[in-house]
Amino acid sequence: MNTNTPFVRMIDVRKHRGESVIVNGFSLELDEGEFVALLGRSGSGKTTILRLIAGLDTLDEGEIWLDGKLASKDGRNIIPPRLRQIGFVFQDLALWPHMTIAESLAFVLSSTNIRGKDRERRIAEVLAAARIPDLGTRYPHQLSGGEQQRAALARALAPRPRLLLLDEPMSSLDAELKSELALELGAVHRTFRLTTIYVTHDVSEISGLACRAITL
Amino acid sequence: MWSRRILIGCAATLFLIVCVLPAAYMLGVSVVSPEGTFSVSNYSRLLSEPRQRELLLTSITLGAAASAIATVIGVPLGLLLARFSFPHVALLRVALLVPLVIPPYVLALVWIFLTGYSGISYSLPGAAVVLGVGFYALPMLAAEAGFRRVDASLEEAGLMIANPRRVFIRITMPLVTPLVAAAGLLVFALSVSEFGVPGLLRIRVFTTEVFTAFAALYDFGRATALAVPVLGAALIAALLAKWSAGEGLLTPNTTWRPAVSSPSPRRKAIALLLVVAFILIAAAVPIAVLVGHAQRVLANIGPSWPAIRISVLLSLIAATSIVVLGLVLGYARGRMQSRSGALLADLILIGAFAMPSTVVGVGIIGLWNRPTIPIELYASSIIIVLGYMARFLPVAVLIISASVRQVPISSEEAAAISGVSWFRGFWRIVVPQVRGGVIAAWVAVFVFTFGELGTTVLVTPPGESTLPVRVYTLIANAHQGEIATLALLQVLATVVPMFLLGLTFGRTESKL
Repeated sequence: MNTNTPFVRMIDVRKHRGESVIVNGFSLELDEGEFVALLGRSGSGKTTILRLIAGLDTLDEGEIWLDGKLASKDGRNIIPPRLRQIGFVFQDLALWPHMTIAESLAFVLSSTNIRGKDRERRIAEVLAAARIPDLGTRYPHQLSGGEQQRAALARALAPRPRLLLLDEPMSSLDAELKSELALELGAVHRTFRLTTIYVTHDVSEISGLACRAITL
Repeated sequence: MWSRRILIGCAATLFLIVCVLPAAYMLGVSVVSPEGTFSVSNYSRLLSEPRQRELLLTSITLGAAASAIATVIGVPLGLLLARFSFPHVALLRVALLVPLVIPPYVLALVWIFLTGYSGISYSLPGAAVVLGVGFYALPMLAAEAGFRRVDASLEEAGLMIANPRRVFIRITMPLVTPLVAAAGLLVFALSVSEFGVPGLLRIRVFTTEVFTAFAALYDFGRATALAVPVLGAALIAALLAKWSAGEGLLTPNTTWRPAVSSPSPRRKAIALLLVVAFILIAAAVPIAVLVGHAQRVLANIGPSWPAIRISVLLSLIAATSIVVLGLVLGYARGRMQSRSGALLADLILIGAFAMPSTVVGVGIIGLWNRPTIPIELYASSIIIVLGYMARFLPVAVLIISASVRQVPISSEEAAAISGVSWFRGFWRIVVPQVRGGVIAAWVAVFVFTFGELGTTVLVTPPGESTLPVRVYTLIANAHQGEIATLALLQVLATVVPMFLLGLTFGRTESKL
């Protein structure tokens, strides 16, 4: 870890889609362990910024640095997404419908060096941290909305990422579940000391969670 | 609502009479002795003959090999069409569909010309290659639809921890597999049911045996009993296809985004080159071979003109009446609320579509060739139209019902609340929204009926002949040039409307 440099650094990032400008000269510096909220209305480029950090989209101009290493620059992703050590909770959750939750976690962990008993222990740990310890054998369609949200969080946390990106993770939940999950997210952040970027258009979701809020 | 019930009831009754009754009749007749009592003698006779096991093995081997070849060719092509954002993709897709609309017996003829009447010409592997090339478009379309329906975020979630190859194998392929498996099973059912290709390439399978038992030996009981194993194999494959596709995991949600690969320009150019090369082999070569063999075109067409005229006329009548009936039945299926009812309807439709052509032919003759029927159906061309309806009405219903399901029920409800009668709402609200499906169904049915051989060769009244029947009967005696000319005419008459339709839909697709 480079102690003097920000953990995430975006420098003058620009992204176009066709004629329209999605991200126009966006810059950001984020220290390790920080919880930042990106706020803005629909179409303001919040999700695109997360996807650029994850390497799922390529930027047109600018630079993205992760833990002191150049990850993307001027239209090129130098570090591929799988090597960025990022956990991503997608807006639609993107749970794999043909795998049980435990199988999803095993698939995620099969890309790491964690094998055998250690892998099983990690799966149990992550399911417990997401408060769904007994739901590993279920398929996504057998879970409620809140349980699916937790399963997506468990999958993102399983490989112990260094950066967690949350793209409107509570947009489809009711108010009660939102506050419940917000508490749990806070607990996860404190436990794992994860650098986190949380995208939302609803300020109430991040009260008590984020150290800093950036409005686009 | 009474007008709705009466219309759908009438259409469903017609469907049962035309499509289901011939098969039911055959099953019934096969267990009746010449004395009119219940008997399983036809089946015990079949079971006691070791040759039947050989026939079953050959039929299943042919179906499995054709299905494997079609899937191996179709899936990569579907992947390229879905993910590589080729320019003029609609044109490429239509060109790749050409072998599907060329009647299989014409492909078999091209195969014989290409292989020079050698040993390989008349072999089981040869027949499997011909059917595999003829039907690869079905797995291709299924794979393309599957790869397009995979939500991008499902793959992206995998890319966060694994390389693209692993994501493709572990995430993408398992999601697409049920659709591809369903298409593969459909190819199996169609190959097992095919008559023209094994008939021309002298492969003894159940469909050719049914034809021989009926047309040469006039043994109705034997023909019906022979039909049962092939009917069973086709129905099992159809059931499995429905089950496989029904278990599909690809249900797009509200935030669905298509997954698109971003290959380098070099890889994209190589892929495009491969697709174009395949089009040249599968679509252009058959046409070129026929053009090369065709001779004295006008002189050869002359004697076959009555057959050409009757083919066009009957296909126009059949396609139009099938689509009118299919519109009502497609609406009924599309609006079915009960899941079990919809499943049963789909099974009947797929089963009727997969029914072997010779089985349909024998069933129709047995059912309608009797003095008690006031109109002499069997002696007129109406029997051919009935045969076409029995074979292709299920296709029209399936295509149109898929379109009806895309029309929100609320658009009909809005009309009903405003005081519009059901029929007016159906005609003015639903029909305009499904016209694309109706046109597609009409063209598909026209193309299929124009090339139909297995049923027509059995039911055609004496003194009449459709173009496929004329080509089939000329093959043994006429000169290559005449046969190639007529086959070429057959191909052009099916490929041209298909191209026009494909390009029209392609333009619509690119506007969306």
